[in-house]
Amino acid sequence: MAQEARYIYSIAKIGTRVSLGEIGIEKTEVFTIPYKDIAAVVHSCQPQAYDTLDKAQAEEWVLAHSYVIDQAMKKFGSVLPFSFDVILKGEDSAILEWLGKNYSLLLQDLEKVKGKAEYTIQIYYDYDDLASRVLLRDAKLMDLKGQIERESRGKAYLLGKKLDQMVKALVSIEAGRLAAKSLTDIKSQVDELKIDGNRWTPDNYKGLSLLASYSCLVRDDMAARLGETLDEINCMEGFRVRFTGPWPAFSFVNCRELS
Amino acid sequence: MEPERDSSLVEILDRLLNKGAVLNADLIITVAGIPLIGLNLRAALASMETMLEYGVMEDWDRNSREQYARQEIKLKLLPGEEILLKTFGYLWQDEGVISNWVPGIWNITSQRIFLWLRSPGKILFEASLENLQVIRLQALTVEKWALELNFFEGSAQGSARISLSDMGEFEEALLRAGIVVAGARIDPIKPNQMATRARGSIRDSFALDRSIH
Repeated sequence: MAQEARYIYSIAKIGTRVSLGEIGIEKTEVFTIPYKDIAAVVHSCQPQAYDTLDKAQAEEWVLAHSYVIDQAMKKFGSVLPFSFDVILKGEDSAILEWLGKNYSLLLQDLEKVKGKAEYTIQIYYDYDDLASRVLLRDAKLMDLKGQIERESRGKAYLLGKKLDQMVKALVSIEAGRLAAKSLTDIKSQVDELKIDGNRWTPDNYKGLSLLASYSCLVRDDMAARLGETLDEINCMEGFRVRFTGPWPAFSFVNCRELS
Repeated sequence: MEPERDSSLVEILDRLLNKGAVLNADLIITVAGIPLIGLNLRAALASMETMLEYGVMEDWDRNSREQYARQEIKLKLLPGEEILLKTFGYLWQDEGVISNWVPGIWNITSQRIFLWLRSPGKILFEASLENLQVIRLQALTVEKWALELNFFEGSAQGSARISLSDMGEFEEALLRAGIVVAGARIDPIKPNQMATRARGSIRDSFALDRSIH
């Protein structure tokens, strides 16, 4: 039966037709369909979305998609990654027609990510640690703390609440100040920066509070310097930085909705 | 510091499902003509971020199913009792603070009439067919008809108001059980003529209705 649709993984800067082997979803053969100097990285499929209620199956598909994009990035340099399950109906000719129609837009985006990759940065802080240091630094708060120890239980409780509130306010000011400073430092070393909405915290950072989460488009030769900047934050007491990458520029494809 | 290449499954999913290029809706319809997003797949993966919660929910679901299954077999009939009709309906309850129509399955058997609640698996109302008198009441809406059950067992006596969507089959089953429904059939009234209180109650019972199915 004719495979009359193409599943799109990414757009790469390559002008020839090559095979990446059977590395696609469901072990399909992944290949490029070139148009001028760019190409769509695809596999042939039936014109229907990959869909399932089976979680394990869904994960397998998504991981295969991710793997193909990584391989394309290794082989062809920076690519424009596509979201999962983008399928264009038609044979290679339909892809060619579509590439032709969107050529300048795709090329512009490819040029933008050329020699660059996406990195994610998450800055965490330890609230308790920050709170104890804020307390030690502030004479007024230390006085209040001393008073609490001398007071009766009922009054000590109320004063304790007041102290907690004051500490909390000072911690958030302190954390905010650091967030602003780090943002300026990071911004000076990246091409583009986006605030990441994903609030997920890995296990080894559990118990810490997330101060900031960014996705950055970084030039390959700037990644090391960015690492040094982040080192400075990471070395500050009470703060920890998570730095991951290089990833395909998922957050920086302007052609998010291609026509 | 060196960037790590390690990425959790949650992050990969977030990236691949929420970011990256897509084709716009026009193209899906005019060129591709196919749905591009696997909705089921997204639903299957949606719980990834709350995997723990998901696990808990799975357990909860299994437990509640088991409980439900146990309850299903709890309905025990009397010796020689035979079910003549099972139909969906309501019982009017105005004991306590709130008055409302309680939905359940009305069972007419060869010996009694009872309202069975599948969950939590109990008989809410029960009356022996002996010494039972059934009177037609004014219909509540075009769809809902009401009956009044008057019963007395020994020294105890009482009455209950019940409602059914299909009055015909219910009365027919009662007849088979040897009970003649008294009172003239009164045409249903229009919903907007109903008393405020009744209207409110019906809305409540419809809400319950949905939750049962």
